[in-house]
Amino acid sequence: MVFNIQRYSTHDGEGIRTMIFYKGCPLRCQWCSNPESQSSEPSILFDARICKGFGDCILAAPKAITLNSNGVHINRPAISHPLRLKDVCLSRALTVAGENKRVEDILQEIEKDLPFYQQSKGGVTLSGGEPLSQGPDLTHLLEELRMRNIHVSVETSLHVHWKKVARCLGLVSTYLVDLKHINREKFRLFTQGNIDLVLTNLRKLVEHRENIILRIPVVPDFNHSMQEMEKIINFAASLQHIREIHFIPYHTLGIEKYNMLGMNYSFGSKKSVDPSELTPYVNYALTKGLITKIGG
Amino acid sequence: MPVLEKLLVSERVSALRERVLCIKPSICTERAKFYTQVYREHEDKPVILKRAIALERTLKGMTIFIEDGELIVGNQSSCHRAAPIFPEYAVDWLPKEMDELDKRPGDAFFITEKHKDELADIASWWKGKVLYDKGLSLMSQELRDLQDAAIIKATGNLTSGDAHIAVDYYKILAIGLTGYLKEIGQYQSQVKRYESEGIRKDHFYTALTISIQALQSFILRYRELAYELAGRETNQERKKELQTIGRNCERVAGQAPGNFYEALQLVYFVQLVLQIESNGHSVSLGRMDQYLYPFYTKDIQKELITREFASELLECTWIKLLTINKIRPWSHTRFSAGGPLYQNVTIGGQTESGLDAVNELSFLILDSVGRMRLTQPNLSVRFHKNIDEAFLMACIRVIEKGFGMPAFNNDEIVIPELIKLGVEREDAFNYSAIGCIEIAVPGKWGYRCTGMSFLNMMRVFLATLYDGQDKYSGKTFYQGLGNFVDFNSFEDLYRAWQHQIKYYARKTIEIDTAVDTAIEENVPDILCSAFVDNCISKGKTIKEGGSKYDFVSGLQVGIANLGNSMAAIKKLVFEEGRITKKQLIDAIESDFTGREGERIRYLLLNFAPKYGNDDDYVDLLLKDAYMEFIRELEQYRTTRYNRGPFGCKYYAGTSSISANVPNGAVLPATPDGRKAFTPVAEGSSPASGTDILGPTAVFKSVSKLPTNKIMGGVLLNQKLSPSAIRSEADKQKLVSLLRTFFADLKGWHVQYNIVSRETLLAAKKEPEKYRDLIVRVAGYCAFFTTLSPDTQDDIIARTEQTL
Repeated sequence: MVFNIQRYSTHDGEGIRTMIFYKGCPLRCQWCSNPESQSSEPSILFDARICKGFGDCILAAPKAITLNSNGVHINRPAISHPLRLKDVCLSRALTVAGENKRVEDILQEIEKDLPFYQQSKGGVTLSGGEPLSQGPDLTHLLEELRMRNIHVSVETSLHVHWKKVARCLGLVSTYLVDLKHINREKFRLFTQGNIDLVLTNLRKLVEHRENIILRIPVVPDFNHSMQEMEKIINFAASLQHIREIHFIPYHTLGIEKYNMLGMNYSFGSKKSVDPSELTPYVNYALTKGLITKIGG
Repeated sequence: MPVLEKLLVSERVSALRERVLCIKPSICTERAKFYTQVYREHEDKPVILKRAIALERTLKGMTIFIEDGELIVGNQSSCHRAAPIFPEYAVDWLPKEMDELDKRPGDAFFITEKHKDELADIASWWKGKVLYDKGLSLMSQELRDLQDAAIIKATGNLTSGDAHIAVDYYKILAIGLTGYLKEIGQYQSQVKRYESEGIRKDHFYTALTISIQALQSFILRYRELAYELAGRETNQERKKELQTIGRNCERVAGQAPGNFYEALQLVYFVQLVLQIESNGHSVSLGRMDQYLYPFYTKDIQKELITREFASELLECTWIKLLTINKIRPWSHTRFSAGGPLYQNVTIGGQTESGLDAVNELSFLILDSVGRMRLTQPNLSVRFHKNIDEAFLMACIRVIEKGFGMPAFNNDEIVIPELIKLGVEREDAFNYSAIGCIEIAVPGKWGYRCTGMSFLNMMRVFLATLYDGQDKYSGKTFYQGLGNFVDFNSFEDLYRAWQHQIKYYARKTIEIDTAVDTAIEENVPDILCSAFVDNCISKGKTIKEGGSKYDFVSGLQVGIANLGNSMAAIKKLVFEEGRITKKQLIDAIESDFTGREGERIRYLLLNFAPKYGNDDDYVDLLLKDAYMEFIRELEQYRTTRYNRGPFGCKYYAGTSSISANVPNGAVLPATPDGRKAFTPVAEGSSPASGTDILGPTAVFKSVSKLPTNKIMGGVLLNQKLSPSAIRSEADKQKLVSLLRTFFADLKGWHVQYNIVSRETLLAAKKEPEKYRDLIVRVAGYCAFFTTLSPDTQDDIIARTEQTL
């Protein structure tokens, strides 16, 4: 299931890219900036700021959507078929993220920007959510892209069963692997995930000599300290064949989406990390012989 | 006004710039008085002689000055930024608007009571004699009604004349002013005065001689002044500067210039006097980095100048360009906000043999314009697929400063299309931008490669829905094919459009023909004709058919709205039936008021394809609809047809600057969901806030227009958030984006406006209008309007810092 196709993406791989955002993620990173990507079902977003009060949503789902003194109230669990609400709201205050797109339709969108990829050495980046969690359509798409000679990057947490990774071997040009932390406890606490799964997959991927770029989100209270970052960088440097590491500063651009989804943003920091704060990490990584970049 | 990067410019330049920016525009009556005197004294003479004598008297009698610190000299009127008056074009409006001039919301002018009295006097003499009156009297009642109804607008051309031209600076610099006198003399000696044609030519040559000599004595007045000031000057350095200025003037008054400094001074004098002679705007400087380069490189080699001094001279020239001013009636001013004169400088492009023409001077011009951050000159860069990469990156760094320059034109479409039109290869490779985005071959092309009459396309579209009736004026100019409610299919509507638009296309030409005839007969430009091939050899002014080429274009306004309206009706009314015909008509008639009206409006806005999103449904519909206009246009010829120039054809044009605002102000609600009297889309850009898939989709949509038929310019303004080009890698990606648009998609033009803090504040307040604003941080991009208020505030604060 896809929730967004974003053209002219310039920070997630080489050149000008089209990003395919898939729904469904095995992790629950507290700082997640795409909360609508977490669930593998369609999600309902509501932006009260542009609601015109036409009431079509209430007519369409009278039991789940009601009007109270605070405005429109949406009882999401009571909506059994969210996709039916897709084109109901005239002002687009209520939107539904996620639809099952056929591979041909995704390809058609991708191919619209072919000349831009060619000129900029860009291509497609599959992201999410966790793209590798997707079903057989994913490999189908990858095969089609391979046939068309379109460069493919996959942005992944690697928090999936190895066989989900293995099926893509040879079909992906670059893996942008999120390496959020290497401390088991901290990783579990902040993402609800198991770091061993990630690290095992990462080592296997390295063994297969795939082209990998590590991406480290730099998040306050999580890994934004020299002490922790040294360990992460040391680990990265210890992996053979890995040359490049990107630091991605934490930002707050996604916070409003929690409101729109009826979710709470429980993460402590509400202040973006300024890229200049990452300079010590970059310098340290350089001493380890890594190619570094701030941002993608 | 943005703060200057003080460290990078000299104290002199910084002071000159500051001084000019602080001046409040005013009115100068000197030109008006001299022209009126001459016209009164010489009523018996042919107009061409009257105008030569009037120019001569003005150049001899007007106040001249050299300000402290100036290196390039020459002034247009009695003080900097004082607009001269051109009473022979139109002057009636002045007494009427005089008391309001300093209260205008934009382009205000200061005027003294004494000047008001003088102008009232002048205006009373000109009653019934001006171009405006004579032009209107050439038009049928129907044509005047169309203009009164504000469907077609051409009054700007009658009140201000033509221009939109660049003269042959190569030749001016090669033969000097005396060279022209010789050439004119030779042709005049062969005139057959026993033929009617001969008499006319004889007068023309006499007028040319008077005008060139007048220009020469004008320049010599500056020599005298410079020497006089030098004599009194106590500062030795300034004394030397003034002596150099005096010597420069002495040289270029007669001979061809011998060095870069003299060449630049002569170019500025010509540019200046063309704008004393004629009231038109968009007098352009052409390919400055090409014709000045031989002088520059020779001086550098001989170590006569340094790069730094050359830059300083260029900066002084840009400041001088800004001192030139014009005043236009409010009715015209509204169409070109900010009062710019669109004095274009073009750099880059290719040489005649197809090699990259970027040279050191191209960089110098680019960087000096970037440092000045003024509204003049209008800087255009000619893109081609082998253009120097470092130069493109330098362009992006200037764009980043956020004053909208440079704009790009594209050799990859312009040159092959010019050649297809029949322009000689050597000329095609030498084209330059004129004004803002339109193009012509400098010194070989007639006036108005764009900017003939403006057509409000959406008024025509609305008339299509009402059996030809224009609801705004209540008049039926051309019987339609029925009312919208009676149409049974989209095809019915489309046929009705074909029917209406042909009529209006023809009417724009009828109006242009009247305007051209009136201009030819009443306000021929003499000096300008001297500097455009082949006026001298043919013995004709440009307007009589003296130029080598003649292609013109009017301007069609509301392009995106036309496509969006058609697509909305096709999809929502005829295909999906979500809106009935009556609902649509009721909604637009009520300006979408009431709950029902609002609902319909949001359906139209959000549930129909919009131009600018790479959606063939609407993009191709727009192309077809526009082609109906263009096909009709192609049948007509200009008033110069069969009189000499090659071409004499019309093409389409969308470089309508800010005309989208006044055209929207006379337009009721439209079926694309646009509210009544709000602006329509500008140029060929998507309607504001409707392009939500980013720049690649916009480029794809724009490239589907029939660009090769819109040689009057396909104007595309793009917003760019500062965050999108912060890093070198980001800039590199923007360069790739441009390369694709130009080299692969054959786009015509693009210009970037860096999103300002004000825009972001407005977007926070009215999110629906700014759905296209994208904010990028490393690895993430989001629509600005979907961010939390806190994050929005944070970005607004940071935007202020970066700019």
